[in-house]
Amino acid sequence: MSPPLTRARPGLVRSLLRLFTVQGSWNYERMQGLGIGVAEEPLLRNLRAEGGDDGVAYRAAVARGAHFFNAHPYLCGLAVGAAARAEHDGVPPEQVERLRTALCGPLGSLGDRLVWAGWLPLTSGLALIAVALGLGLPAIVAFVVVYNVGHVALRWWALRAGWRYGAQVAQALREPLLQRATALSGPAMALVVGAALPLVAQYLSSAFFGWARVALAGVVAGGCGLLWWQRARLTGVRLGLALLAVGALAGWLWP
Amino acid sequence: MSLELQLLLLAWGTLVGLDLVSVPQAMIARPLVAGPIAGAILGDVATGLQLGVLFELFQYDILPMGATRYPEYGPATVAAVSAAHAATGTLGLGLGALVGLITAMAGGLSLHALRQLNTRAVRRAAAALEAGDPRVLERLHAAGILRDAVRAAVVTAFGLLLAQVVRAYLAGTLPPHGVALLNVAAVGAALAAGTAGTLRLVGRGPSLRWFAAGVVGGTVVAWLR
Repeated sequence: MSPPLTRARPGLVRSLLRLFTVQGSWNYERMQGLGIGVAEEPLLRNLRAEGGDDGVAYRAAVARGAHFFNAHPYLCGLAVGAAARAEHDGVPPEQVERLRTALCGPLGSLGDRLVWAGWLPLTSGLALIAVALGLGLPAIVAFVVVYNVGHVALRWWALRAGWRYGAQVAQALREPLLQRATALSGPAMALVVGAALPLVAQYLSSAFFGWARVALAGVVAGGCGLLWWQRARLTGVRLGLALLAVGALAGWLWP
Repeated sequence: MSLELQLLLLAWGTLVGLDLVSVPQAMIARPLVAGPIAGAILGDVATGLQLGVLFELFQYDILPMGATRYPEYGPATVAAVSAAHAATGTLGLGLGALVGLITAMAGGLSLHALRQLNTRAVRRAAAALEAGDPRVLERLHAAGILRDAVRAAVVTAFGLLLAQVVRAYLAGTLPPHGVALLNVAAVGAALAAGTAGTLRLVGRGPSLRWFAAGVVGGTVVAWLR
């Protein structure tokens, strides 16, 4: 049977620290698999002593841990904890593999909505507003601190929840706080980034006068329309380089 | 710019490049953080903040999911600040944006190359991995992180070199109107990318109303200032 949470704490802490590097060996074959395996390994060390079979169970579990995996990096801990717990609970290997495979989609989708499309643009939008209002470097420091409070808390929660629930980890994804945070993060992000855009426009164009402001409005409207219309092909970086080339050429030709 | 400052920028760009994917994803790779710190290294926080904000808008155009390819704006912002700082009073934002956008594209390509190198290393060690050898696993993982650090350093060095080249051959050749046009193009593209990217995130659901409310609120505050 699995060790209780208090006895597993050193392993959990080591595993959490390793989870910060979970994408360090990202590759097209196993994606995050190696990082997951490295993070899971401290939680599997008890298996070396169990059974007296010369670490066969441990090595088999380590090998399984490094198989293909891809999800949101902040929520990988849920899969790491759940798979390690399942290995301790003697769940059959095929079932552990199925558990990992089944977690990829939901953890990826949840993390993308909660973090990439929620918490990150929300806190970055607040920082943009603060910089535009003249708060300067303290706004940047506040962004890094606030963002990472949420970031580290999410990683720690995910790992602990995975370890607690094991093969029943789907229950963790139904926690009311997580559901509420996911539901709220989208509208909050939209409101904050929406407010940031005009303020940032004012901040960046403060040195523009006369025709330059009119030209800027035209470029923003046209560029936004182009990016929306050609969204499958045109990216921000390509639009930026094209506009800079046009701007430089027009600048040289202008008498 | 002194060699010490260039080396400090290179070290900062490397850390920023590592943070994007490998370690620890604490978002120092965001242009909004990378830019002002690069500015502080150069004693020019204002330029760092401006370019940080500019490239943060470009960053909104990206959703870094799974195996998608995307430009890398962290080291790019560091290089952009270096270019704009040295060209203060001539080109500023426009020159920084030009250097930054080219470096960002190079960074994106380098990420793809890194992933292919990692894939090859994993294939070579497949037998040991299937045998569950933890030392091989940890060594492969550490090598991947080391490769990413080298990649980030190379991308930053490329950006800093590009900043010097562009400054030497472009700064001073544009008339004042051209400088203004370049700046308008840079800010316009960033605002367009930021708006379009946010609209893609928001979608057509109920969040769109919140976005519209935010735009109205932000416009009112900007008008009142």
